[in-house]
Amino acid sequence: MPTASRPDAARIGIIANPVSARDIRRVVANASNLQVADRVNMVLRVLTTVASLDVPRVLMMPDRGGIRAMLLRSLNRERNLHHAFPEVEFLDMEPTSTVDDTFLAARMMRAAGVKAIVVLGGDGTHRAVVRACADIPVAGLSTGTNNTFPEMRESTITAMAVALYATGRLTPERALAPNKMLEISINEGERRDIALVDAVISTDRCIGARALWKTETLSAVYLTFAEPQAIGLSAIGGLLQPVGRREAGGLAVHLSHDPATRRLLLRAPIAPGMVREVGIAHWEPMPAGEPFPVALQAGVVALDGEREIAFNAGDRVRITLRENAFPTVDVARCMQAAAREGLFRLSSSTL
Amino acid sequence: MAGKNPFPLSRDELLKCYRTMGTIREFEERLHIDFGRGDIPGFVHLYAGEEASAAGIMSHLGDGDRIASTHRGHGHCISKGVNVVAMMKEIYGRTGGACNGKGGSMHIADVSKGMMGANGILGAGAPLACGAALAAKFRKKGEVAISFVGDGASNQGTFLESLNLAAVWNLPVLFVVENNGYAESTSRDYGTAVDSYVDRAAGFGLPGVTVDGTDFFAVYEAAGEMIKRAREGGGPALLECKMVRFYGHFEGDAQTYRGAGELDKIRADQDCMKKFRAQVTAAGVITADELKAIDREVLGVIENAVKEAKAAPLPTLADLTTDVYVTY
Repeated sequence: MPTASRPDAARIGIIANPVSARDIRRVVANASNLQVADRVNMVLRVLTTVASLDVPRVLMMPDRGGIRAMLLRSLNRERNLHHAFPEVEFLDMEPTSTVDDTFLAARMMRAAGVKAIVVLGGDGTHRAVVRACADIPVAGLSTGTNNTFPEMRESTITAMAVALYATGRLTPERALAPNKMLEISINEGERRDIALVDAVISTDRCIGARALWKTETLSAVYLTFAEPQAIGLSAIGGLLQPVGRREAGGLAVHLSHDPATRRLLLRAPIAPGMVREVGIAHWEPMPAGEPFPVALQAGVVALDGEREIAFNAGDRVRITLRENAFPTVDVARCMQAAAREGLFRLSSSTL
Repeated sequence: MAGKNPFPLSRDELLKCYRTMGTIREFEERLHIDFGRGDIPGFVHLYAGEEASAAGIMSHLGDGDRIASTHRGHGHCISKGVNVVAMMKEIYGRTGGACNGKGGSMHIADVSKGMMGANGILGAGAPLACGAALAAKFRKKGEVAISFVGDGASNQGTFLESLNLAAVWNLPVLFVVENNGYAESTSRDYGTAVDSYVDRAAGFGLPGVTVDGTDFFAVYEAAGEMIKRAREGGGPALLECKMVRFYGHFEGDAQTYRGAGELDKIRADQDCMKKFRAQVTAAGVITADELKAIDREVLGVIENAVKEAKAAPLPTLADLTTDVYVTY
């Protein structure tokens, strides 16, 4: 196997959210609940994989949700068994058990010079990492509810692709892919936020338990990409007019609960196990860079499945699609390149 | 639309919830002072900082719904409608207390309000809530039971056995884990193998939800869905409220286990009452003056409760042999 160009510089970060997939959709929709023990197992698999591919050091976000405590116990056991691990260092930060932990960890990892950040979470966790740090490549592992943004993939394979990139065996041009995002601006930038998959406007005006599952409150759905096989609110767009993750432009869907103004009724899987009828008024492509004004007077903007920002009459809400907004490690492309170029072959045979 | 109520509760209900949280806060702040002065016999564990959990959950309950509380039970009692004067007399050990002054802080009960009792034995409330839920199931009136435990007590066998029993019998019970980060003085990292209380539920096939327990509306909405589900026969569930406590495990606890500046920080950033005030005033539903009026009203209620408690007579020797199972 070719050796890394500068293996000593090859370090990666891991941000594992202990409380993704813990919201009310466990009760209203029987959504799955990945246990902390399984999240720790995923981290352990990432660690052993990157260790065997010459990544010497991994920075991790500390948490008070059980991942750090269980991981440290597991690492002690594994060391007794003489299994190889990279050096694991927890960031020197005090966890608050809020999304601020993810923001801070992502910024600290960038400052520490990580090559990529492996994220364990759902759409919301990935959004938080990108919001804090849009220039470090992200490699996502699905541990959330909808998991539209992170691909469902065995963590070993994601870790292999990350190690190929982090050790310089694959260049950014070959390993990374650009992604779209939505920029949400309230009153010309008084407040800004982003979404990686969907920004949904709801007549609901309380953040409350955050999750969004009541279709009668939906007013509009703005999407970076919309796949027909997706679960969650992006499925509405995916079943109307699919837009690929790598295609130009996004999609805006305007809903109506009034039979007089709606053009059709669509059945869509808006949450796990919940196929619901949604009244569609019209839909339109979202070209990059063009601000879309939100028509609803007062409501809530939900970002990647969670109610985030309440707005009132007089607030001007604009949503703009941005292309080439942040890079992700393109696992499939990395592994294809690795196979093509024999990156995992240990002999010089080209047979 | 400014001023239109965006919340899932009416204005009057919001004011009532604020009054409940304010009453708990003032009750506890006053006990902190009075206990420090040596006015109160026994032991007290204060609920200050955790009000949104009790108020958010109990807003969905009636007198027919029963709760089993913990050693930190004042907030549960007040939210469940137990008379504040009777509570204060109980804590002061006076006749006319909720249990005639014989139980003190950790044994306040009022069955007429569905409050089955605070409980000094950790994890002991969970099987009691299962019993109440079993009764509710047979009565078929749509009543539910709530078991409160802390993050420490959720490691007790009684709690885990109760999850199993509730699942097997499909009982209308909600297990609430009030996770304030410390089992007495032990941080969770040192005492809990799997530090997710939702995972406990998953192990028994029950749905579990984690909410920000310092956000009244997050607790209110999640608890509402779970209680509705239980009333309709959907069975048990677990709600983890991540929260903070403003005082020590008990009054007199030096809290050397806390980080530097931790208490100031949680009071500044994670005060559930501050968050509630900010949300309802920003939405233009309730004015700051209306909330201040409630603060003043609550101050009077607690002042009066203390005055009445201090004026009430102590139990006599003869009272020792009443309210007991043995005949003397």
